[in-house]
Amino acid sequence: MIPRLHSFGAKLLLLFVLVVAAAQFATWFIVARANHAQARDLIERDLQAAATAFARVVEDRNALLAAGAATVARDPVFISLIAGEQDAATIASMLRSFQLRMAADVALAVGLDGRLLASTHPAAPADEIVRQLVERADQDPSPNPTANGYGYIDGVLYSLVVAPARGPDILAWLVLGFRIDPPFAQRLKEQTSGIDLTFVDDRHHVLATTLAEPAARAVAAASPAAPDRVRELPIGDETALVLTRLLDGGATRHASLALQYSLDEKLRPARATERTLLVVASGSLLVAMLLSRGFARRLSRPIEQLAAHTRVIAAGDYETPLTLRRSDELGRLAEAFRTMTTGLAERDRVRDLLDKNVSPEVATQLLREGAALGGEEREVTILFADLRGFTTLSENLAPRELLTLLNRYLERMSAEIERHGGVIDKFIGDAIMALFGAPVTQSDAASRAIAAALAMEGALAGLNRELGAEGRPPLAIGIGINTARVVAGNIGSHRRLNYSVIGDGVNVAARLQSLTRHPEHATNIIASAATLAAAGAPAGIAPRPLGRVTVKGRAEPVEIFAISPLSGVEV
Amino acid sequence: MKPVLLTALAALLCCATTLPAATAAGSVRVEVNDPKGAPVADAVASLMPLAAAPELTPPAEPVQISQQDEEFSPYVTAIVVGTRVDFPNRDKVQHHVYSLSKPKRFDIPLYKGESPESVLFDRPGVVTIGCNLHDWMSAHIVVLGTPYFAKSGSDGRASLATVPAGRYRLEVWHPRVAAPVTRELDIAASGTGTQVVSVTLRPDRRIRRAPESGAGGYK
Repeated sequence: MIPRLHSFGAKLLLLFVLVVAAAQFATWFIVARANHAQARDLIERDLQAAATAFARVVEDRNALLAAGAATVARDPVFISLIAGEQDAATIASMLRSFQLRMAADVALAVGLDGRLLASTHPAAPADEIVRQLVERADQDPSPNPTANGYGYIDGVLYSLVVAPARGPDILAWLVLGFRIDPPFAQRLKEQTSGIDLTFVDDRHHVLATTLAEPAARAVAAASPAAPDRVRELPIGDETALVLTRLLDGGATRHASLALQYSLDEKLRPARATERTLLVVASGSLLVAMLLSRGFARRLSRPIEQLAAHTRVIAAGDYETPLTLRRSDELGRLAEAFRTMTTGLAERDRVRDLLDKNVSPEVATQLLREGAALGGEEREVTILFADLRGFTTLSENLAPRELLTLLNRYLERMSAEIERHGGVIDKFIGDAIMALFGAPVTQSDAASRAIAAALAMEGALAGLNRELGAEGRPPLAIGIGINTARVVAGNIGSHRRLNYSVIGDGVNVAARLQSLTRHPEHATNIIASAATLAAAGAPAGIAPRPLGRVTVKGRAEPVEIFAISPLSGVEV
Repeated sequence: MKPVLLTALAALLCCATTLPAATAAGSVRVEVNDPKGAPVADAVASLMPLAAAPELTPPAEPVQISQQDEEFSPYVTAIVVGTRVDFPNRDKVQHHVYSLSKPKRFDIPLYKGESPESVLFDRPGVVTIGCNLHDWMSAHIVVLGTPYFAKSGSDGRASLATVPAGRYRLEVWHPRVAAPVTRELDIAASGTGTQVVSVTLRPDRRIRRAPESGAGGYK
């Protein structure tokens, strides 16, 4: 399943997977972030609303209690108790009636001096709280002065309201309060779309809560001193947003209300969507993988086919057809491939023909450099070989036999020339013109030419032995060799070109060949001094100076040498 | 044997002082139940002779309805017209006993210890008393024009013994009945009988005393 990475399909697959995965992950990330932000926003709004609702509930309840307190405080018996000897136990027992009437959780009677007269609670509240409440009520200029606030009694938090007991002057104050306890917290929670409430005292103890105990303790422990901002708080495995509001308990001890909602709970539906999104993403990733695999195969298979066919072509097989038919770019590539194959086959055929018509070296140079009508001046050793007495021979033989004999002779001579690195420039009837050092430069062109000439002599001796056996007369040869700077290049028209050399040196070589006919020279091979100089001191030959001869069309006489092998040296 | 003995004992306890010197007397046992058959306590059953008004002999000493632990005790008291009642306060706190009932309106302002004066109940009827300080305190005094009465116990039984033979109107009252249940019956000399009376009780609307602070709370 895991493809090798150096294959095209694997790269395409990787690219597809990366792109799709990146897109899907980005989508998931953006959605998750938006969900998170929205959940935070919703919770913050709910928390603020709950804080307001709590304040409103307490306010309303305080207002009710204050009205009730003002009413019950007018009870004549109560007034007379207050106005009388202020029997604390009796007042306390009567306060219990008031507490019942108002469904309050505590009732207190407080003297004008702020001193507690009686209470329905066995534990007395801190004098400070009562005194402050009464002081604040006393500052209220209305006919029904009232005040409210939070206070602790025996470690329990109460919301307290004050009303005057009048007779008709204010004789004392009646304080009623309700407890901030778990049932109260529970009721508030029911009014506030599931927000949890925890009342915390100034010592970070839980007063009342709707949470389970460990969570409530965590909230209480993290309860800040001066809060008004929504904070994140880890509770157990979850994260909650907490808004804390201070409940003013006067100067002595404050309390706070921590409102909270689990961020994880709010995010739960969003998380479900995110999970679905993840599943969809994985699915599309899988589909993308399969698609890209299929696509890559469709793409790589023809490429492999082309590659295989390239090997077929490289092996020289132009006949096996490429069976790739497509309408796309690959199809066009295959078509180009076919065209190329045809071109290659054509070129090979041309090369073949060239080889037969020109020397292989010339063919190679032609193919490499093109058949340009260029030219260059270079030093070349030119060898001319001619059959002596060919004219007489041609009179005695039938044309077919003559040609057969001639070709036999030329074949042997050509072989020797080529064996020595010479290039047949042309056959002129029974004559051969060969080049050494062109078109391919050879540093030892001159000595190669001399060696070739001696070898040709040897080869002819061999041929003459064969002819003798056939009852034919032997053949004789004359070879002229000259080394000169000539112009080399493709000579001819655009239609037909010949690689050849032209110049004075060519004529000299031809002349030297014809000089071998002179019996006084007594040699088959004549080379110019230039050739011998170029060859240096070739081993195995014995140049015999023949003096200077004047060559037609050339002012300066040419020094010539007869070339023959050293006696005893086989060439 | 046992019910007879109990009846005699109850008669001795309840009616010893009011018992007229009668020669031929019967007894009646009244069983007070609610419609479901459960016994009803604190019901007062009385027999009013239909022939002639009976002679009433109020007790010489006042009957006592005390206030203890901020409650009246007993809750229901039956007396004959002309009986005096004391309201001794055995609490450390003051009480303020009052009645707004038609047969007897009275008001004993804040006091502790013995009531300043006993109250004479000179007209028949039901008198409901309360305390101006403590809403949950209430009690009932049934003032009767006949000496033949009894209060049901927790078993719902009230025994009226030594009732002279004759025709009577049986009246059963309870703090929670809308109107007393009455029926007429004859009592034979030395006769014994059982009257089963079913009373329909209204909801108990007595104010419950606040629990001690620290418990209960906001409900």
